[in-house]
Amino acid sequence: MVDITPERHMKVWRVNVCEQTYSIEPTPDTWAHLGGRGLVARILVDEVAPTCAPLGPGNKLLFAPGLLVGHMLSSCDRISVGGKSPLTGGVKESNAGGSTGLQLTRLGIKALIIEDAPARGGWWVLLLSPEGARFEPAGDVAGLSVYEAAPRLLERYGNHVAIALIGPGGEMRLSAAGIQNLDKDKVPSRIAARGGLGAVMGSKGLKAIVIDAKAGEKPPIAHIEDFRNAQKEYNKALMSHPQTKVYADYGTAAMPRMSNGFGGLPTRNFSQGTYEDVEKISGEYMRELLLQRGGESETTHACMAGCTIRCSNIFGGEDGKAIVSPLEYETIGLLGPNLCISELDSIARMCYQINDLGLDTIEVGAALGVAAEAGLMQFGDSTRAMELIDEIRKGTPLGRVLGSGAATTGIVFGVEKVPAVKGQAMSAYEPRAIKGTGVTYATSPQGADHTAGLTIRAKVDHLDPTVQVDLSRKTQINMAGYDTLGACIFAGFGFAAAPETIRDLLNARYDWQVNGDILQVLGKEALKLERQFNLGAGLTSAHDRIPEWMTRQALPPHNAVFDVSEKELDEFFNW
Amino acid sequence: MKVTVHLHTTLQRQTPEGLIRRLEVELPGGSRVADLLADLEITLSMDALLLAVNARVAEPEQILQDGDQVNIMPAISGGGGS
Repeated sequence: MVDITPERHMKVWRVNVCEQTYSIEPTPDTWAHLGGRGLVARILVDEVAPTCAPLGPGNKLLFAPGLLVGHMLSSCDRISVGGKSPLTGGVKESNAGGSTGLQLTRLGIKALIIEDAPARGGWWVLLLSPEGARFEPAGDVAGLSVYEAAPRLLERYGNHVAIALIGPGGEMRLSAAGIQNLDKDKVPSRIAARGGLGAVMGSKGLKAIVIDAKAGEKPPIAHIEDFRNAQKEYNKALMSHPQTKVYADYGTAAMPRMSNGFGGLPTRNFSQGTYEDVEKISGEYMRELLLQRGGESETTHACMAGCTIRCSNIFGGEDGKAIVSPLEYETIGLLGPNLCISELDSIARMCYQINDLGLDTIEVGAALGVAAEAGLMQFGDSTRAMELIDEIRKGTPLGRVLGSGAATTGIVFGVEKVPAVKGQAMSAYEPRAIKGTGVTYATSPQGADHTAGLTIRAKVDHLDPTVQVDLSRKTQINMAGYDTLGACIFAGFGFAAAPETIRDLLNARYDWQVNGDILQVLGKEALKLERQFNLGAGLTSAHDRIPEWMTRQALPPHNAVFDVSEKELDEFFNW
Repeated sequence: MKVTVHLHTTLQRQTPEGLIRRLEVELPGGSRVADLLADLEITLSMDALLLAVNARVAEPEQILQDGDQVNIMPAISGGGGS
């Protein structure tokens, strides 16, 4: 039995997939103050050659719960997954809700480092428990889709375990493959989607990581009373925030009309900023539809235990049976207006298929937009879109191209109009209409990613190129901080209203004496480390650019181009 | 003059005909965005609202023109961290 509690400190678990061995190590001093995204960046800088092949033995697959994970603080139990990205060739951290983060902390795991390459073929399950780490043959779950594999693994290991698994996309090592985690209802829908980390997991020969923490225990809290007081303040701020109700009722699907209202809803492969059928794909319409359909439909649903915002949903069909959970804005945007598809039922079915393959809906949606540009489908033809998704399932050359993302699809089919930065597809905010988010796409070490710093809610003129770099920088620093805490983007409403609670929670949890600027301190450190890794990998300021065609081709309705100056973009990391 | 108003999420209106989120509003010439909000009896503070006129962020003092498209969103800072 591995003793996980006596020093009451979190440890680093290191697993070698070649030898099928593991060790448990004390956390190095320079890692102790980090978690989540910041810790992923630190480990990559310390241990992974930035020039390594992403699918080779030199890359490592990392799991790091955020600093506040483990206590069922509302919206603060996220898991960061990381490695060198096969999609961007640079640093990658992708985080998800669900139960993986919480259960890892119950085994005392500060970071899980999976290294080397398998010496033999076959698919394996890595089982983590208080007994340690063990490899078991994946057996009959190998080759299965995500929604087929998860219930079998739960049957095999018990309904209490947390699971991180890949689908056929990860097994095929496609660059759009993510890693899926169970939500609180055991549905494997919480995906660390971006950047191809599912392909990295596939390259390690792992079909699933199963975390059995039944005999584990909650991570220690140094000053429990202080922690509970800070938690109370945070909850109060979160619950009294009007935005919490908006997200409980409408989820992220509140966004289509907002983006459209600013002329920034990517439509027809990023060629228009407004969509004529926006009402049909709006969160407001979806809520009415789901309330009317009833059955398994839910307009308000929590992805993590203890979440008070509950922004998720269950999208039910006409018969009330669940089609997919959740149906989020980014998915609606990239599979809806981006492809000129306005039927939510079709979008939900496509979302289910892409989830089932273990792929990123943003990347696949953008790849389909590029495919439509190339004439492989007509815009608006959801039947053909579904056929193309099926090509991925069959593993045909065409399917593998699409499953490798928008940039690869553009190269193979000779399309200039690819909405991607550093090889990663943009999400559902047009950078020519919401230019601060364009700066984020351009400069984030992660590649184009709205979660790195979304600016649409800022009260600025989104078309004025001169104010966007500062705005994006502030937002990116805060988001990198939240990602290091393990806090969901929406926890930010509570923390923004009561910022001192971040300091108080950390000091109480770890017996630290950090100041009120800790969120920014952590965020800056994470970004600097990520930048350092990217520079080593050959990703420089020359790559911090919006695609050239977006600086030339005007976007209706504003007829705007992306015109934030390159000089200003190059100043992004000078703070 | 007449402007088209798009009400978002919790600002939708329950009416006997169902939920209304798009409506035409008649206003005297020279009306400002703030006058429109008063006309619609929207009492949320400016901190709790995001306003767009013709797809650009607007201030309450902005003068409206005939045919303007106005989006009124109960969405404030946070989330994006800004």
